[in-house]
Parts: sequence; structure tokens; C-alpha cells
Amino acid sequence: MTLTPEAPATAAGSPVGRSVRRKDGDLILTGHGAYLDDIEFPGSVLHAALLRSPHPAARILRMDTSAAQARPGVRVVLTGAEAAAATQPIPHFYNPAMVGGRSTDFHPLAVDTVHYAGEPVAAVVAESLHEAQAALRDIVVDYETLPFVLDAEQALAPEAPRVFEGWEDNAVARLPFMEGDATAALAGAPHTLTGEISIQRYQTTPMETRGYVAAWSPDGRLTMHASTQNPHPLRSHLAQVFGIGEHQVRVVATRLGGGFGHKFHSYPEEALVALLARRAGAPVKWLESREESLLVGAREYLHRFEVGFDAEGTILALQDRILANVGALGSSGGWAQAFVAGLTVPGPYKITHYDVEVAVVATHKAPWNGARGFGKESATLMMERVVDLVAQRLRMDPAEVRRRNLIPADAMPYWTAMKHIDSGEYHAVLEEVLEAADYEGQRAEQTTARAHGRLLGIGIGFELAPEGADLAGSLVRGHDTATVRIDRTGGATVLTGVTSPGSGNETGIAQMVAAELGIGVDDVRVVQGDTDLCPYGYGNFSSRSLTVGGAAAVLAARDVRATLAQAGAHLLKTRVEDCSFADGHLIDTASGQRLPLPEVVNAVMTLGGVGLGIDESQLESTRTYSPENVHLVPDEAGRVSVYPSYAYSAHVATVEVDRETGKVTVLSYTGVHDCGTVINPMFVRGQFLGAIAMGIGGALWEESVYGADGRLRSDSLKRYLVPRAPDLPWIETRSRETPSPFALLGVKGGGESGVSGAIGAIANAVNDALLPLGVHVHEMPLSAPRVLRALTDQRIRP
Amino acid sequence: MTEALPTTTAPESAIPTRELSLTVNGRPCRVVCQDRQLLVEVLREQLRLKGTHIGCLNGDCGACTVELDGKAIKSCLVLAPAAEGSEIITLEGVGPDGGGLDPLQQAFWDNDGFQCGFCVPGQIFAARQLLARTLEPSDAEIREAVAGNICRCTGYQTIIESVRAAAQAIGEGTEGLVPEVDTPA
Repeated sequence: MTLTPEAPATAAGSPVGRSVRRKDGDLILTGHGAYLDDIEFPGSVLHAALLRSPHPAARILRMDTSAAQARPGVRVVLTGAEAAAATQPIPHFYNPAMVGGRSTDFHPLAVDTVHYAGEPVAAVVAESLHEAQAALRDIVVDYETLPFVLDAEQALAPEAPRVFEGWEDNAVARLPFMEGDATAALAGAPHTLTGEISIQRYQTTPMETRGYVAAWSPDGRLTMHASTQNPHPLRSHLAQVFGIGEHQVRVVATRLGGGFGHKFHSYPEEALVALLARRAGAPVKWLESREESLLVGAREYLHRFEVGFDAEGTILALQDRILANVGALGSSGGWAQAFVAGLTVPGPYKITHYDVEVAVVATHKAPWNGARGFGKESATLMMERVVDLVAQRLRMDPAEVRRRNLIPADAMPYWTAMKHIDSGEYHAVLEEVLEAADYEGQRAEQTTARAHGRLLGIGIGFELAPEGADLAGSLVRGHDTATVRIDRTGGATVLTGVTSPGSGNETGIAQMVAAELGIGVDDVRVVQGDTDLCPYGYGNFSSRSLTVGGAAAVLAARDVRATLAQAGAHLLKTRVEDCSFADGHLIDTASGQRLPLPEVVNAVMTLGGVGLGIDESQLESTRTYSPENVHLVPDEAGRVSVYPSYAYSAHVATVEVDRETGKVTVLSYTGVHDCGTVINPMFVRGQFLGAIAMGIGGALWEESVYGADGRLRSDSLKRYLVPRAPDLPWIETRSRETPSPFALLGVKGGGESGVSGAIGAIANAVNDALLPLGVHVHEMPLSAPRVLRALTDQRIRP
Repeated sequence: MTEALPTTTAPESAIPTRELSLTVNGRPCRVVCQDRQLLVEVLREQLRLKGTHIGCLNGDCGACTVELDGKAIKSCLVLAPAAEGSEIITLEGVGPDGGGLDPLQQAFWDNDGFQCGFCVPGQIFAARQLLARTLEPSDAEIREAVAGNICRCTGYQTIIESVRAAAQAIGEGTEGLVPEVDTPA
């Protein structure tokens, strides 16, 4: 049985649209998941440990590694200068130069200048991890500390210390996103309103941290097992860093214990571990510690907005100035989230005059990497607060203001300057979430609760989630490739360029291929992550696994099916178009005759071509699928769309604020989600639930906190507070399916939806709770101390 | 210590070691470990039981949870020598003899109680301990029971559904409850 009791298998039924259990669940549940650190490698594997700078900005004057070299068990000690001499600069995942921004070269270890506390400056390889760690203490580094800057606004001041030598200022890029004439529309608007809102630096905290095991074989080939989301791009990257042919590199992405963007490639440790293995002449393993993992940043934005609207609540114009503190840039593409934060505005709303500028600013904090939401959460937070502020000013219900501004279904597909939104029933989904949450009933209860002095708040969040990004010029693109082959036992193997972070997309792809070939999901094996086996692909990001990876596999499966149908038609003496596939059989729908699939495959393999009277004997196909709705060349109006797929969701959260402590309790939560055609409802729900939990965590607790000394304070899971089971409410979910007219099978990305809507809904709910007190909190996260300050501090703006 | 004090200082590289007697997943074993090793390290490195994961080495996340003498514990918080003579069950040893899944594992699979699977040891052992105490747990009790284990994929809701389903399956008597767990006072 591969199906849940709710969705029983029927022999002839298609597995698409069913809640099939995840593949390998039994392996995982019995401790045989084989994550990176669980894999036994032949021979002895050496262990690497990294010395990291305690200073946010410093010049390295001198480094003495002799004492460390002399320690027992130590095999290699490497400095930044040695590493840089042995490698080419690390390729950028997304180079800011791509959008006209500033860039610089990055190396496996800091060479002579340190740009953030925690930057690796030296590495040790030893026979055991304990020995490697102990040797770090014997490396002597003389630093000349330099002035540093942690705040984005301060970093833009003319006198601010520069993060990177030779830069005129600390701006990585200034990115405009505009349409219409916002200045004129604001000037002419009957009402305007201005405000500020900030979202904190925080990350995704996958339970398995990153890690790499590198080994060079005698023929000069590099094999790297990596806990990464992008094995093929990592292969390209390693080949470039070492100046060797890409065919001389094999990357194996192991089973991931979570990704969420944290495991996008282009970290300095990837090339570093490979270099250490080469120096050691033996395999070397490095695993990111939790403390190291918590250095990785994402999302530290300040929005300054002005909105113009009329008395009916129609938003006429929006201006948003966004400051994004992306830390010390790095080769990882995290900064690109600031681009997406600007691009996402104005979200699901029909606002024809807007003017957004994102200032992407470098500071002496650790670089960003991807984080589920990828900037959309910041845009959504701003937009959703703006809508609520408009409602508050006009004394209208926030739901009504949304009704008046959401893009109507009959306007789809809908162009903005940077997006071609494929499809959506925004108004219907809004009504559905209001009904499911009993919004009217809850408002009535709120009135009673307020009369009793309770701080009860209800918040709506509406999220647009552009997915499947195709940024030309970067190391990852929107298309992907799959090979499908069928074997003599009637089973299929799929080799795909997309990988799974643990979401279960391999099961989804198996369902799609099984449906095409009329076989069981268990009869489809999906191979991912091994660059020696799988076609070149871009791995896992931007909720693309089924929209492009699944679609490529469907196209390849259809090629195989075409061969089988030709053979079957010949064998059953029927027409090709009468051949269908179900239940492991080829069926002549005209006569009802059935042939077991293995017989058809064997016929092709033994009699194929002339013997069987068919032109094609091909039982294996490789196909590339490029998402249709991508427009990289500007149209006559100058519009482009780097995202093909637009999922969306609507949320209602109810919270209570404790007057004495500022603690926020989420009392109830409802979300309605639409990601087009659903392949596996159980998995789509699982993604939505997990994303909402991450959104609530980010709205209320999670924060990467820096001290005034430029060092990360939230360096363990005791200080970086992720939600635990008792912290969260029951989350009621529903889903709607509005297929994308531009996607094969109508599928849209479903892996990120929920993060942004949850942040918006919680921020609105908490501020709604505070409304009777005449205060608001626009500084995230809405943790107890911050809310308490708002409750007690008279200086908080009304 | 009845032996005379050593007259010379041991070189730095001479790390004290000892032999431990443990019963792991029902099988007695002897294992040589360094005095400084954590139980999770001995399970993973010496005994090669990789189903016990390391997520923080700090007692925060629960991915290294095992059952030690009938109690769910975080094996990164136990020095291996302190486990001398104990009976340990790891995730590999939860299922019935001869392979397959027990009702709790089955419920986690059927109800999508995990995604990436890294946190599964903590959730399974915490739930086992809860179900040994009650087969009619409330959602709040389930949430409290798994509070020591961080999951970043599910938002915990399908974990709650899985534990509910397991409680029902075991309660209906269709499946015998596998764990014989001492309940904490």
C-alpha cells in the first residue's frame, strides 16, 4: 500500500491528485535515512575545523600556524593566503553586477582583511574532529582591528567605514521597481499616510546543518558529497575554482535534513573542503556546527512607505523606500532576496502607480543566504500593514479594503512592471478564508473581549508568492531536465535535475510519471542529486521541483509512452490512438484487450524497429522543460517577468496580548492556499503548514541578534528561538485549485506559500490587539519585550 | 580509586579510554570509548547506529533522542561512560523484530508526520513515552510531550495527527503496544 486510508488506491485511477505517502518513509522511520554524516566512506576520512575571526573588521597582520602543525593528529593547516593562491575566486550564485550592482571577489578563507565576525580565516585537518578543534587554539593570529558598521542606515553615511576596499560607499545596488507616476498620484490622492516598518535579521535553521565530504581520486577526479540544494551548479562552481574540467567533478547531494535556502551553494566552505582534501591527500569531512549555521543571515529590511488612497479605500499610489542590510555580501546569493522584496510589491493588489527603491547595503555582519520566503515576506509584511493602516484611517473593515484592492479574477493574466501573474481567484480565496475563520463571529467576540479589557486582535494576511525564478545570468535558471526510462519488468527510473530538501518532491515526480505510464508510484524510482547520473539541473529553489522538474519528467515519460503505444498498437492490431495505459497494462480502448507492460517493453527490446513494424525503439528519453510564462526580454511597455508561477494564499490569525508581559499567544489560525493543480494534497498541506509555522516563528520570536561588538549573540538554539509544538495554534487549512494556463498540468510552486501570509496576518493581529491603546509595533519580531515596550513606553508613535 | 597515583604525567595525546557494557536494541555489546565521548558519538561512531542524529550538541533540538533504561533522553547530554550497564533503544530498534514498522512509526508515515525526517528520533521517542502513559492524549498533551524536539518542516501539526492516529490504533487493540516504557513520576 502506498496510499493513505483517506485516498485509497484504485487499480485504474491516476496517482496524480492523491495523497500518496512519501517514498523512503520506512527507511527514515527506522534510522536509515542516510544523511551526509551517516554515510560511511571507504578508507579513513579526515576531519576539518575552521578558525573564525572574532572581529567584525580587522586586518590580518600575521598568522603563525607552526604550533598547530606540530600537534598530534594534525595533517594540514591552511591559511587564507595559501588557499587564495591555490584557487580561483568563488563564483557568485547571483552576482550583483547582474543588476548593475557592485561586486568583489571572495575566497575560501579571508586573505588579509576580515569582513565579519565569524569569517573563516584558517583551517585545520586532523585525524579526528577533536584534534582538529584543539589545534585551532594553537593558531596565532595578530589582528589590527578596524572600525565597523552593523546598521544599514549608518553604513550609507559618507563617513561610514567601508566593508569592501575600493567601494565608493557601502551600497551594493539601488534597485528601482516602478510603474505609472507615483509622485503625481500621491500628490493628487484625497488621503495619504506614511509609516515605517522593519523586519529583523533571521534565518531558516534546518535541523541538519550543512556539510561536505571531499575526496580526490588518483585520476585527478574530485568527488564531493554535499548537503546542498544545487549539486550541478556546485559542480560547475568547483570546476571553475580549481580550473579543471567539469567532467572531472562529481557532486552527490545526499538526503537533506531540510534546506529552506540555507543550503544554496556558493559558500566558501565548499571549495575549502575540496582544497583541504587535495592538500591532505585523503578524504576530508567538514560539518557546520549549529553555532556556525546560525551565522547565516537573511531578511533585515526597513520599509519607509507613503500610500495614497481615496475615501472608499481604493489605494491609488504607493511609494516604498527599502533598506536591506545584507551583511558582508559573500558569494552566496542571499542578497538577491532584496531584489525580490522590491519586485513583489504591490503583491496581490491592483495598484497602478507605485515607486519602490531597494537600497542593498553591505555591513559587517555575516552574509545572507536564501531563506524560504526569499524577500516576499518583507514585501508582504509592508503591503499587509499598509492595507490595515488604510482601513484604520478610514474606519473600514480591513477585509473590505482588501476586497476593493485585490486584482479581480477577470483581469488575469495580469501584468505589472516586473510580473506577469498567471491566474488567481483572489476575491474568492479571501471570502473563503473569512468564512472558514468565522471572521464576522470573531469580530463580534472581539468586541465583547475588548469591553472586558482583553487585548484580542484579528489579522488578515494576503500573500502573493512568485515562484520558479529564472534569473538569466545567474548560476541557476528556471528550466530543468529529466530522463525517464522504462525497464523490462515494467518499472520506470527517473533521473532528474531537481533535488529534494526533504519536502517529498521525488514522490510527486513519481506520481506524475506513474500517471503517464499507467504504473504504480512504487514502480517508479526517482534518482536525484548525483551529477554522474542525473542530467544537468539547478536543484531545489523557488518551489520549482514539480512545475519544471515534474514537467520535464512528464514530457520524457510521454516520449517513452509513444514508443510503447506504437508497439502495443502493432501487437494488438489496433490504432495507436486507442492505446491507453493503466494498472501496469497497455489497454486497447476499442476492444478492451490488455497487455502487461513488461510484454510490450520486451517486444520493443527484442523485436523493435522493423521486427515490430515501428519507427522508434526508444524506451528512454531526456527532456528539458522551460517554464512558459517567463518574459526576460522587455515587451513594448518595458515589462519583464522573471517568475512564471504565482501561488497565493489568504490567512486569518487571532492573537491575544498579555498586558502584563507583552507575550503574544496565537489563539487560532486559518489559511486558504492556491498553488494551481495539486499533485499530492497531503504534501501541499504539509508545505503550507510548515511555512505558516516558520512565518509565525519569524513574526514572533526568531531573531539573529548582534551585540555592539559586532558578534552574533543568538549563537545557539537557546538564544535563537524557533517555535516548539506548544507555541503554535491548530492551523486550519483549505485549498483551492486555479490551474496556471501557462504550466504543463497547471501546477504552480507550493513550497514557500504561507511564510509571508503568516507574517502579515500576525503583524496585523498584534497591532489590531493594541489598537484600543493607540499604539502600534512596527519593529519585528513582535516578541514579548518589544510588545511590552510598546505597552509601557509613552514615546512610541501613535 | 584503589590504585596508586601515576608517577608520570600522561602525554597529552593519551586520552583516557574505557570499555562499556551496554545492551543496545536488545543485543548486549561491549564497546571501547574515550572517557570524553558523548553517548551519541559512541552510538554513531563505534556502534554505527546512524539513526540517532546530531542537530545541535546542546540538548536543544532532540534529534539525538534515544531510550535509556526506558526513558527518552537526549544522548548528546550524556557522557558515554555514564551509560555503563544501561539498556538503550535507538530508532533502529523501535520496530518489531524481523523488520517493519510499529504502530507509531506506521502512523507517522501514513499521516505525513515528518518531511525531511531529521527530527524523527525525538518525535518518536517522546510520543512513545506519552503513549505508554495514556492512549487518550489531548492535543495539548501531545504538544507538551514533543516540546523538547524541534521540527522545522511540519509546523508540528501532522506530528500531532500522527500521535493521535497511533494512540487510536493501539487503543483499538489491533496492534500491540511495543514499548514497555517506565513512565516518569
